[in-house]
Amino acid sequence: MSLFTKKSKEKVYTRYSSGGANISVWRETVEKLQTPEGRPEVLDDIVVLDASAGNFSGIIAASFFAEFGAEVIKIESAKGDPCRKMTPYGRNVKGVGIPFMMEGRNKRYMTLDLEGSKEDRETFAALARKAAVVIETFPAGKMDSWGIGYRQLSEKNPGLVYIAITPYGQYTKKAREFVNFPDTDITTQTGSGLSAQIGDFQTEPEPYSWPLKAGMWMGWYVTGISAALGGTLALLHRQSTGEGQMIDVAGMDAYSSMTGFPASIGYTWDKPRPRIGVLDFILYPYSHWKCKDGLVAIAAPRDHDFRALLKILHRWDLEDDFKFTPDRIPDIIEQAMTLHREIEKETVKYTAEELTTKALTYAFKAARSKWRGGGVPIVMGVMTPERTMKNRQWEVRKSFKEVEDESVGTFVVTSGFVKMSESPPRIKWVSCDIGKDDEYIKIKYLQERCGG
Amino acid sequence: MEEYFSYTAKLFDPTRVNEKPEVFKGLRVLDFTHVIFGPTASRILATYGAEVIKLELPFYGDLWRPATYWGRYWKHSNPIWHFVTQNKYFVSLDLKRPEAKELIYRMAKDADIVLENFAPGTAEAWGVGYSSLSEINPKIIYLSCSTYGQYGPMRYFPGWDLLAQAASGVLSLNGFPETDRYYKLPDYLGDFVPGNMAALVLCMAIYYRNKSGKGQYLDLSQTDSMIRLLPHFTYHSVTGETLGRTGHHDPAMIAASIFKTRDGKFLGLACATEKQFHGLCRAMGKEALLQDKRFSDYFEALKEENAEALRAIVGDWIREKDCDEIVGLATETGFAAAEVATDKVICDDEWRRERGSVILFNDEMYGELALAGPSARLSKTPGRTKWLARPLGYHNRLVLMKFLGLSEQDLENLEKKKVIGTFDDRPGLKPPLYYHLDKDPVYNYGREVKR
Repeated sequence: MSLFTKKSKEKVYTRYSSGGANISVWRETVEKLQTPEGRPEVLDDIVVLDASAGNFSGIIAASFFAEFGAEVIKIESAKGDPCRKMTPYGRNVKGVGIPFMMEGRNKRYMTLDLEGSKEDRETFAALARKAAVVIETFPAGKMDSWGIGYRQLSEKNPGLVYIAITPYGQYTKKAREFVNFPDTDITTQTGSGLSAQIGDFQTEPEPYSWPLKAGMWMGWYVTGISAALGGTLALLHRQSTGEGQMIDVAGMDAYSSMTGFPASIGYTWDKPRPRIGVLDFILYPYSHWKCKDGLVAIAAPRDHDFRALLKILHRWDLEDDFKFTPDRIPDIIEQAMTLHREIEKETVKYTAEELTTKALTYAFKAARSKWRGGGVPIVMGVMTPERTMKNRQWEVRKSFKEVEDESVGTFVVTSGFVKMSESPPRIKWVSCDIGKDDEYIKIKYLQERCGG
Repeated sequence: MEEYFSYTAKLFDPTRVNEKPEVFKGLRVLDFTHVIFGPTASRILATYGAEVIKLELPFYGDLWRPATYWGRYWKHSNPIWHFVTQNKYFVSLDLKRPEAKELIYRMAKDADIVLENFAPGTAEAWGVGYSSLSEINPKIIYLSCSTYGQYGPMRYFPGWDLLAQAASGVLSLNGFPETDRYYKLPDYLGDFVPGNMAALVLCMAIYYRNKSGKGQYLDLSQTDSMIRLLPHFTYHSVTGETLGRTGHHDPAMIAASIFKTRDGKFLGLACATEKQFHGLCRAMGKEALLQDKRFSDYFEALKEENAEALRAIVGDWIREKDCDEIVGLATETGFAAAEVATDKVICDDEWRRERGSVILFNDEMYGELALAGPSARLSKTPGRTKWLARPLGYHNRLVLMKFLGLSEQDLENLEKKKVIGTFDDRPGLKPPLYYHLDKDPVYNYGREVKR
């Protein structure tokens, strides 16, 4: 591990030199972080039933439980979860879409027709007696009307953590009124406040002036993370008291509840924020510019960082007009855009890597100089996902994993988003055929029902 | 059996939240983090009952204290800082001083969790890293938050949300194809999302410790976190193609895009399933589309040229309708459509107020402020807000005297040496002008005050 080779002298400024208080502990810890395999799994003692249908946030929540070792059983009808088909431009492998392949990590698949078969609902209820977590995304009250809602299941299994995900939640007048309203990523983005803040100035030509969506499923991922987080909090309560509970996640809360900005800004400012394109409401420079080989992102919002940036770009002439943060924040758009254009005149002269190196070198010197004031302009080339995949940093950290499956073939998935020294998450398998574990689940969990 | 919605209304009743137990009662958290990423993780722990001791540098404090949107303060505070620092204890001490380190070591003895988001290597260099604190308390759970992680060739690179968005590929995905229009995700999502994931992994570590008795070290990078959310890598490895930017459209769902309505509003619309597409066709009065070969099969309808044709048909229809009309039809026939909601709409939304998604919180120091409610509603152990942000060093006396048993004399010595301190006269750090700190029993803990 290069962190500990004495020869490689850091070219990047760090306060870390020969080690902290205890180098051997630190060394051992970092080494442990690099291999998840063979270590204990956090949730190896629980079963999770994912009965979500047509809503990826349920699948995403289930994935987190599965990555941390839970036995996750995906329940779907013989036709398969409609989520299998949601895939960019319809690209699929044997009828399985890309996002479904990606989230199909460490899961069991069982076919049950919850909508149509009374018998299958009974089987589900029997499984739920052994489960710690149920995830569902049906219209509020639907599972309840089938006799397999939180009310009924928790009678037989008081420790059950029951996660329900819908656009408008399980209570309130509107939840009742919009009960059949489906959940999708894009409506979650527009309805929870994300789209209103992304996109170009309203003065730009249409359709650039329109509110925009994030180029990934940000609504569904935020909802899924919220559901996994809520579920894990409930598992902790269950661990100490044996008590389960119901968790209500509303897709329309996604963005607003995660950042808190819409509520508090809506209240204190009492009017909507405009869209400000490449600018930022609080910080400047905090944006991206064209450079010789694409785009470069630069953050230098603190005054001394900004001065350092001007030095690097040889534009000290701008210092006088934009000396202080209030000179740079974009409450006067034209002023901020002027600075933006001036910076771009310089960034186009360099590649992203040249700029990154210049910034790191400056910071390295500045940190040791009493004259430069420790400015650290922070620079990074804007990578496409394809370039990110090739970055050595993520190779070393094993952030991507090539996986192989008999039926869907070989492909790359993101993996191990957190490194943990004792009980890390991991990907064990990705197979996701409909009903592939019917037998396994019957034998393992439903013996008494089969008379076995 | 009781009607479902009346049952759930009682189960989740927002007015009864404060009567219910807290998951993290008694859990103690030492929080070295600043700005958003780390503080969001500790905020979530605090929302569910943990005692989070937020450590800041005397007289300067957290970088984000004074940094408000467009430089607008609210009662001399940063209005959006209240959300990420609610329920925390504000202690300010100068980590560079050996006396401060001693205090940290004493606190670490009883702490369950430690979080830091300094540049990688800094916490270790200062002697408050995992290697030091785990010797004092082997059961400690220690989370390091960073932009690129604690190991790997880029480990010492500095970073913020923006850089994580750039390095993960996220920034390259928002905007319009075949233009030079790219946009970062707004409002520091590159901090908030990893912050929530940080809270999730801390919960996992606590769960594991409850089972095994073992603490551990966690290394969460915000770039790794953002990478986790993208299907683009899998897409590339399967198809050999790049997905790139898709403008207003979601290429993974039928007719999914942002549209403009007759009354000049914008809405997101999508059909996640074939059944929803039937609903949309019914609403448009264009059931014939269901027979159209181009749209008769889900995968077929997603093919680029077919999707474009369908979006044109839907767009034409929407242009002739008002936003409310479309949303009404969506609920009736069962497809998804939601208006683009602004801050103001969200803040005033009746549904959110009733649900507790927007809470009008009444704080002893700041009065009324609208805050977002927790992302998930837990029926038995719900999250709650107890107090808003406090001036720098507000809880110094309370924490140091009550938790560590320091005397008045000890505090005086520490203050004299500037090991601990409070705020300078700057917005974001100081209390509101009208507030009399000298009458505040918490700030003056251990001293007589007349209210």
